[in-house]
Amino acid sequence: MKMKKAAALLLSAVMTLSLAACGGGSSSASTSSGSEGSGSGSGSGSSGGSLTINIWDSNQQAGLQQIVDEWSAESGISAKIEVVDWDNYWTLLEAGASGGQMPDVFWMHSNTAQMYMENDILLDLDPYIEKDETMDLSKYYQGIVDLYTRSDGKHFAIPKDHDTIALLYNKAIFDQYGVETPTDEWTWEDMYEAAKKITEASNGDVYGLAMNTSNNQDGWYNLVYDYGAELITEDHKGTTIGSDAGKAGMEMVRKLLTVGAPQSVVAETGTDSLFQSGKCAMITQGSWMINSFYKAENHADYYWALLPYADVNGNGTCDEGERQSCYNGLGWAASANTANPDACYSLISYLCSDAAQTKQAELGVTMAGIEGLSEPFANAFEGMDVSPFIEMENFKLYFRPYTRNTTVWEDALQQQGAFLDAWQNPNDPEIMSKACDNAQKIIEDAIAAE
Amino acid sequence: MGKQKMTPRAREEARWGWLFIAPTMIGLIILNFYPVFNTIYQSFCKTGDFGKGNIFVGLANYQAVLTAGETWQSLWNTIKYALIEVPFGVVIALVLAVFLNQKLKGTSLFRTIFFLPMVCAPAAVAMVWKWLYNQQFGLFNNIFHTNIAWISDPKIAWISVGIIGVWSVIGYNMVLFISGLQEIPGDYYEAASIDGATGINQFFNITVPLLSPTTFFIVQTRLIGALTVFDLMFMVMDKTNVALSKVQSIVYLFYTYAFTNGNKGYGATIVMVLVVFIMIVTFIMQRAEKTMVYHN
Repeated sequence: MKMKKAAALLLSAVMTLSLAACGGGSSSASTSSGSEGSGSGSGSGSSGGSLTINIWDSNQQAGLQQIVDEWSAESGISAKIEVVDWDNYWTLLEAGASGGQMPDVFWMHSNTAQMYMENDILLDLDPYIEKDETMDLSKYYQGIVDLYTRSDGKHFAIPKDHDTIALLYNKAIFDQYGVETPTDEWTWEDMYEAAKKITEASNGDVYGLAMNTSNNQDGWYNLVYDYGAELITEDHKGTTIGSDAGKAGMEMVRKLLTVGAPQSVVAETGTDSLFQSGKCAMITQGSWMINSFYKAENHADYYWALLPYADVNGNGTCDEGERQSCYNGLGWAASANTANPDACYSLISYLCSDAAQTKQAELGVTMAGIEGLSEPFANAFEGMDVSPFIEMENFKLYFRPYTRNTTVWEDALQQQGAFLDAWQNPNDPEIMSKACDNAQKIIEDAIAAE
Repeated sequence: MGKQKMTPRAREEARWGWLFIAPTMIGLIILNFYPVFNTIYQSFCKTGDFGKGNIFVGLANYQAVLTAGETWQSLWNTIKYALIEVPFGVVIALVLAVFLNQKLKGTSLFRTIFFLPMVCAPAAVAMVWKWLYNQQFGLFNNIFHTNIAWISDPKIAWISVGIIGVWSVIGYNMVLFISGLQEIPGDYYEAASIDGATGINQFFNITVPLLSPTTFFIVQTRLIGALTVFDLMFMVMDKTNVALSKVQSIVYLFYTYAFTNGNKGYGATIVMVLVVFIMIVTFIMQRAEKTMVYHN
């Protein structure tokens, strides 16, 4: 009998332990951590004495919290940053917007900004900006300011940062296979040749490069623009992906894929994990990702280079428009229904001030949303040269393609009938060409339905 | 027959009756009935952003959903998933239940072990399996020295996902079966042993028929559960997975349209298709009960 009791106790202990373990596991998984964020967000948001901040990038949490704490020390209002991963961030924010419970201050993004502005979900910042003498919207990157300006001229978010793209490579792999490391003069063809050598020399054990359809901003978008096409035209009303230039860009993407990691591998493991586990030699990455590579185990082998260019006219030098980097900027926005709009604006104004923006760059959180303050960012990562991100600003930056309902076509482009087929079978140029035609139609239809 | 007048006492009782069921009724109305009617209404609308500005469009959504290939593909994916999860989940659980219902050492330990998956959060379960299946670094490929794309090869990905489903529900089904087994009087087995029936004979001639009400209950609830599966596919498959379109369930498709793309009307219509399908399945099941289930 005693034995049985002891056994029962032990079992129940195991049960609770495993419960706790499962709980812990799931909170690191995306969905549950998301719902936790929103739950406590709505709770503390309405209490007045404190603010809730939602962001989606855990790499930036520590640095931003430090800046926010400085604001709290000045204002006496506590504020806590909660991270909800990208996919769930928008699901939860939209649910919050429909149900009326949102975080007080949060990030806005080009994908959805228009929809949120048009529906008066965001706090109109103009009355506060007028009263705020330190606020001068002209010092920020204009593309980002425009993005968060509604058609009637009202402003709903203030630029938090901007980003550029660079090429990341693992020098140890290049040395191992005797391939010359990337230079600032590289074209996409050079990248192809180098990747081919590595993939072939290692017998497919190490991939020369890896690219993922869902990483469009730091990936294939740049090739489309380098070759002279536009995924979304400047008026946000059309696309030229199906044009000859667009097809030339995607043809180069296809060639790169033939010597890179297969799509089935990338979909399971992710390009950054492949890179960090030494399974792939090159990936393109945005400046917002530096931290995760800087902190990685083998970071001494990691080097950044300027994004390759497309020598469209074949004269051997990089001419105007042949090297382009996508740039995007997040905005700090507040909920229109917040209990404490004054505190929200005060926080946003602080986060976007010269001092905080410089500090943000110094801490290596991101580059600044104010032009000319990103220089300290280059020195934020001791022992790692991230200057290619800053150098990229001497070339053409184009704003991340967006329309009113970006996710609809962005999502459709990743699926069967669009680029997925071509990604799966990169050896067939016909499929890629057809995918470009389909993509043209998908985007046009999506814009027409907006 | 005219309406009979209630006595004061009966009226009093009725009032208390209503009061007692009120909490449940209010919960049902707010959390179930209202969303049901709202979903039906939305399926006839081109819904606006954030639930504002719905425009009535009649059957346009239905026309779009019913003519889209991906709707039927996803429905078929869901059926395939159910065809793995329900039969295997039931048969394996039944065999385990029979073994664990005997007076052996350590039965409670094994019952706990088999029930553990039920206690874990589905999201956590899916994350662990995702890494077990991983083509590059996964445990399975490392142990068996294979290079199989378990969850990216459209031909086998649906089976891989189905296996996770079976693993997750076995414990729950098993506990239901054990309670069903304990309802069967021991006399039957005693009498059968005296007549010389073997264990296998007893299983098929006593256990299976007398357990059929429990089996039917499990099959019916699991079938509905399997047809509304979402979390497994959502957690295990990346958006760019080439096998996604051959594995995604119809609820996943609904999620993509309603929440990722913000097209609530189209999403509501997909759900209506699923509701009708489940109603048909349930109707057939109810018919089958009359002939296949043995009642004492």
